[in-house]
Amino acid sequence: MGIQTNEGQGRKDFSGIWGSFVSALDKIGFSPLGLALLILVAVAPWIPPFNQEHIVRWLIGGAFLAAQAIAFDFTAGYINVVNFGFAAIVGLGAYTSAILANTSPFLIVRIGLPPWIGIFVGALVSGLLGLLLGMLTLRLRGIYAAVMAWFVGIALLGLARNLTPLTRGPLGLHPPTLLSTTSNRPYFYIIFTMMVVTYIVLRMVTKSHIGLAFKALGQNFDAARASGINPTKYRVLNFALSCLFAGWLGGFYAHYYGSLTPKTIMHTSKTVEVLAIAYIGGRGSLWGGVVTAFPFVFFIEYLRSELTELPGLHLVIYGVLMILIMIFYPDGLAGLYRWAVRKLRRDRPS
Amino acid sequence: MERTLTGPSMRSAIWAKIGQNLVASIVIGGSVAAGIALAVLAGPAQLINSIVTGGMWALMSVGLALVFGVMNIPHFAHGESFMVGAYVAYFVFTPLHKYLKTNPNAFLSTMAPFIAILAATLVGFVLGVIIEKLIFYPLRRRTRAQWVMNTFLITVGISFIMTNGATLVLGPNFRGIPRYWDVDPIKFLGVRIAFDRIVAFAIAIVTIAAFWFFLHSTQTGRAIRAVAQDEDGAQMVGIDLNFIHSLTFGLATAMAALAGASLLFMFQAYPTVGLKPLYFAWYVVMLVGLGNIGGAIIGGFIVALLQTATQQFIGIAWEDVIPTIVMILVLLLAPSGIFGSEVKGVHEQ
Repeated sequence: MGIQTNEGQGRKDFSGIWGSFVSALDKIGFSPLGLALLILVAVAPWIPPFNQEHIVRWLIGGAFLAAQAIAFDFTAGYINVVNFGFAAIVGLGAYTSAILANTSPFLIVRIGLPPWIGIFVGALVSGLLGLLLGMLTLRLRGIYAAVMAWFVGIALLGLARNLTPLTRGPLGLHPPTLLSTTSNRPYFYIIFTMMVVTYIVLRMVTKSHIGLAFKALGQNFDAARASGINPTKYRVLNFALSCLFAGWLGGFYAHYYGSLTPKTIMHTSKTVEVLAIAYIGGRGSLWGGVVTAFPFVFFIEYLRSELTELPGLHLVIYGVLMILIMIFYPDGLAGLYRWAVRKLRRDRPS
Repeated sequence: MERTLTGPSMRSAIWAKIGQNLVASIVIGGSVAAGIALAVLAGPAQLINSIVTGGMWALMSVGLALVFGVMNIPHFAHGESFMVGAYVAYFVFTPLHKYLKTNPNAFLSTMAPFIAILAATLVGFVLGVIIEKLIFYPLRRRTRAQWVMNTFLITVGISFIMTNGATLVLGPNFRGIPRYWDVDPIKFLGVRIAFDRIVAFAIAIVTIAAFWFFLHSTQTGRAIRAVAQDEDGAQMVGIDLNFIHSLTFGLATAMAALAGASLLFMFQAYPTVGLKPLYFAWYVVMLVGLGNIGGAIIGGFIVALLQTATQQFIGIAWEDVIPTIVMILVLLLAPSGIFGSEVKGVHEQ
């Protein structure tokens, strides 16, 4: 996706038609290479072999994971707070939308709100919880905030499991789907658009002066505070925004898969998947997770279909890769890219 | 001295101390009240049960507090050590038990569970040392930047590998035993308590006491505490940091494995069995203050009492919500826990 050009690479030559095109792209956080990759993904569902229905499903899975990784990295990579209850926040958005859309007489809420509206209500609820949670826990530092988010995630999972009149507990809900078609392609374009919107909005925020404050807080908390940045205000803002997008994406999950159980969406292992993708991609880049998510989902789905007798192998691979990245290459893929760009620039006489 | 006492920072420090003491009194008072309410309204059985589990949460939490205090690692794979302990105990005890069925031997029947638990503890220790040497040692050599957060994420990865690795190798099956000792429950205060529970409690108490003695009265134990207080200072007086770190991590893992093995009759061995103990251990150390080992012992009992009381009086749906709200309130008023935390790395980003 968008390969950012605004990081530490001062020399920018925006002249001519190409130059103004690049500068316009740069404003919304894309580089030409990133845009090309993005277009490639966008047309993929029409190109064999990617046009098969099951592979389009993989693409949807990839885009869903990628979008979550963007929202996760917005918090983890910028203000350096690991939202360890991320999956539960996604699940809250999904459940809110699914419960509001319910028409079955067996549950106590029977509003039957159209999913297209419900998704946004879900996002709002998740964002509000994020805001509240942020105000309460982000006064604490690093590890306390992470563990508190984890506790809240467990509490939400417990609620989804036990408030059976509302959620049917472990049996799960069957929310209506967004479209009446059985084809996967339209859904792909929905989640693809959601992913791009998530990226552009969050990128715009990080490019503004607010983003500068985020980065400052993430890199050196005390120095940032000493230079007059109100840490709680900015951290809460960041956290709530990330949760808002998480809930929005959760709504898509509910109304695409049409089935929602507490464990499949809210479990801590889902957070770890997103976290691993975001970190392998490179923290503080936003796009790193996207570049990682698609190949990963393909690789993992392939493993899953080839080695059905080895459940959980893909999760072990996640874990091993994550540890290796954390120890030996903490900058992830984005760091590798930045290094390559620097190398190219230096080698080319200008 | 008097001048500094009137300064605004000193005043806020005093208020923080008062807030902390207040919260501590409320939490301790609340858990005592919960204990009394349990004994009166639900019968002494519930109370005794929660004291027994409290012993085990204390054992888990002490390991967690130790690793955080000495190495500054927020250990998220502590539950997986519990899981490993449970598996090892199962795989040692079951064949022994089968063998004893065909060849009865009174002495060996009494000892078999201890053999299983001991084996689990040893495996836990070795596993802890291996993890430390393989993962944290290289990381420590590379960089200490953002140490707390990085090691947290790494232990998340370890936990992920271990739970899914266990599913991969052993399958998602539950492996449990009905009980270790074929002994009738013992009557105490009119309550029948399973013999296994009594032994588990005794193991927890003896281990914690022995560990306390080790930390305070032996050369190595003092070295561990020295490293927790000041790493550079410890190094200057000739303490081998690598040895202390490996030993600490091994001991903590061994304690979790010991808990898993001793509670095999309650928690069957399966890949994600460690999640609940991990949750409670974290809850305890957050409540009492990260890295506070003495507090962790008391905290184990407090949390077990509050947990049973929530289940008993409020209902299962809110079982996880109430503790989370309590924790948020506690941390708002006493950000470093009810007994305070004096670990050097807690406030690192």
